[in-house]
Amino acid sequence: MPMIELSLTGRPKSGRVVGIDLGTTNSLVAYMDGDTPKVISSDADKPLVPSIVYYDEAERRLLIGEEAREKLITEPRKAIYSVKRFMGKGANDVQEDLRLVPFQIAAGSEQVIRFQMGDKQFTPPEISAFILRDLKERASKFFGEEVTRAVITVPAYFNDAQRQATKDAGHLAGLEVLRIVNEPTAASLAYGIDKRKEGIVAVYDLGGGTFDISILKLKDGIFEVLATNGDTHLGGDDIDNRLIAFVLDEIEKQTGKRVEQDLSNFQAVRKAVIAAKHALSESETTTIAIRFQNGTDFRQELTRTAFELLIADTVERTMQPCKQALKDADLSADEIDEVVMVGGSTRIPLVRNRVKELFKREPHTELNPDEVVALGAAIQADILAGGSRDLLLLDVTPLSLGIETMGGVVTKLIHRNTTIPTSAAEQFTTWVDNQTGIDIHVLQGEREMVDDCRSLARFSLKGIAPQPAGLPRIEVRFMIDANGILTVSAKDLRTGQQQSIEVKPSYGLNDEQIEKMLMDSYEFAEEDIRKRQVIEARNEAETMLRASEKALAERAKELIDADEQAAIQTAVDELKAAMSGEDHQLIRDRLKHLDEVSHHLAELMMNSAVSSALKNRDVAEVAEQGK
Amino acid sequence: MLTTYNSTCIYCGAETTGAHFCPECKRIQPLASGTDYFAFLGLTKRLQIGEAALEKQFYALSRQFHPDYFMNASDEERQASLDRSAMLNAAYRTLRDPVQRAKYLLTLEGYKEAEKKAPPDLLEEVFELNMQIEELNAAKKMGDADEIAEARTSLDETLTNLNDKLTELDGKQAMLFSEWDAAIDADTLEEKQKTILDRLSELMSHRSYIRSLVREIKEEI
Repeated sequence: MPMIELSLTGRPKSGRVVGIDLGTTNSLVAYMDGDTPKVISSDADKPLVPSIVYYDEAERRLLIGEEAREKLITEPRKAIYSVKRFMGKGANDVQEDLRLVPFQIAAGSEQVIRFQMGDKQFTPPEISAFILRDLKERASKFFGEEVTRAVITVPAYFNDAQRQATKDAGHLAGLEVLRIVNEPTAASLAYGIDKRKEGIVAVYDLGGGTFDISILKLKDGIFEVLATNGDTHLGGDDIDNRLIAFVLDEIEKQTGKRVEQDLSNFQAVRKAVIAAKHALSESETTTIAIRFQNGTDFRQELTRTAFELLIADTVERTMQPCKQALKDADLSADEIDEVVMVGGSTRIPLVRNRVKELFKREPHTELNPDEVVALGAAIQADILAGGSRDLLLLDVTPLSLGIETMGGVVTKLIHRNTTIPTSAAEQFTTWVDNQTGIDIHVLQGEREMVDDCRSLARFSLKGIAPQPAGLPRIEVRFMIDANGILTVSAKDLRTGQQQSIEVKPSYGLNDEQIEKMLMDSYEFAEEDIRKRQVIEARNEAETMLRASEKALAERAKELIDADEQAAIQTAVDELKAAMSGEDHQLIRDRLKHLDEVSHHLAELMMNSAVSSALKNRDVAEVAEQGK
Repeated sequence: MLTTYNSTCIYCGAETTGAHFCPECKRIQPLASGTDYFAFLGLTKRLQIGEAALEKQFYALSRQFHPDYFMNASDEERQASLDRSAMLNAAYRTLRDPVQRAKYLLTLEGYKEAEKKAPPDLLEEVFELNMQIEELNAAKKMGDADEIAEARTSLDETLTNLNDKLTELDGKQAMLFSEWDAAIDADTLEEKQKTILDRLSELMSHRSYIRSLVREIKEEI
């Protein structure tokens, strides 16, 4: 019933907005306790959730975090880790990664990766959603009320598809993602909040899978990003891969055998080298000790010096982005007042030394590099929830945005390091007479040619009125919002009307796929999600019932015949019956049915309301009657 | 360029005279097309703008418009916040850079984007430069290290000359800026204003020309 929909207001939401750091290796959730951001720990008092998801085929259930970690060695194909590296990517992008991880991807992974986990397939946004759901549950339990809104962080250098994939993951986890925040920027908030810092700050963020450098100006509570750069495929995982290759070669030297074909062996090696890496941040030497499934042992001494030789070029790869960011910010290294270290990999002494050499100052390491991003996200969450207005982040888009023009050349519309939100408009016309559509190919990247940039999407302008070539004038507006995510709108400049536009993302999921996943995910959802579905359906049904019963009692007799009244009454009774059950789909079906059979009555009531209004009645009164 | 704006609040109908927020109901107003950057930032069309003052205004307006503060507002207000933030960022980016600022003013005053044009006193230098580049390329082909070094040295000299020329143009630009501002402040005749803009437009053409030469040389070296 149209007038009933008008009076529908959103259901009351929990005021809480939490901050989530969805990391390559670990994830965590934080909130604002007064003026202080705090991490929410598990029952076992652990703040970090390992970003690992295991699918238990026999039991048809999922294990997340610590429980999943235990399955890495025994069930390597069904335990997914480092999923962040696969977000917003297609099969062609990840061939190299796939040689270094034990998972398999299924056919049809061109636009979005599909991990084959036993008899099931999951995409990276789904795997991430399972982790997010775990954090959501942790937070909801902590507050004793359901948390439905969150700020989620991403690497600053994430492109549009990777950001969108993260937002999709939040949606799949039943979270309204109020903002996608860049990790180094979030860290700067946590760093700057209580110290009331002013000046130029560089945030060096080397995590499990990604590297970012951001240079910010802190002044009067404004955190203005001047430039950002990075590599979304550079982090602790690459250091681990170096060590794994080294150990596998050593094993071959000692035994003459390559052991990694057995995935359990591979995971045993991986576990041992990660332990060694951690140890070498504290001590000068360590022993890599592995006991394989078949009972054989491998032991190898590793000194910090040898370790540093192995990883030197990986660490070196962070230097060029730092120099580029300085150049883009139009600053020299000695104009940086403070350097803040973020991400677990910044515990490595070699990393600290290289950063110190580059910026010619001692970097700040007093903040917990694993937690600072989540704490910053919690601060931003508080700002968005309407809490503090003292601090404001002004972030930038990390990559230039352009469109394909003649000869496969990219014409840049928005340059990298432009403060967001930002928009650009471009006019398009037709090439041939009576052309009714125009295709626009949007890309991200710094290179000149289409093939060297990242394809974001193809937009089709449709339904252009047939005219001679060159006559139509369509203005397309590209808007990058505060999340760093692109939206495109088009306007026909001759008619002033919005032009319809069809979006075909090059990578990622479309709305239909997400809806389907939401449906499919009920199978694995925590009980609260199923409950919410029922509650939502019931709430809507309730509103509809109230209006229908009121209409039946007050207006039906004068407007419709007895048969129609009876049909509505039956639909009302059926809906009530469904509402006492737990099947939200049935509630929705019957809700829809009631809407259909009462549509005619609603129309008549609307018409009569309109004609009453025309008889000099106050508009507000009419609206009131419509309720 | 004509500045258009909604003169009344779309929510309560109060007189707004193009203000960012309705003076009565305080709600953020939708952005009308054709608003220019100067007016948007509350500035007259002067070319001498203090960096610190501009930054202060940018921060102050960011605190008013940013989408962070409109999370629970209506769709219209959220859109207005997004549009005004994007406009603010573009205005600040353009006006804080003197060259961008001058170019923007020229566009507003109906000048086409300045074409690259060689300053007359530089024609000889340009001719010389082309020779030097040819010499360098020839030397590279021959693989003669001495010749390459020699050609590079002469290109370096030209580069220094061009950079000096740019510095000279900076000085002229500063003078034109102050002349323009004086003309605006005194509300002088349009004709007088136009001669200043003509000179500014020519200066911008020369600057673009020299800058592209500098880029070219840097690529060659």
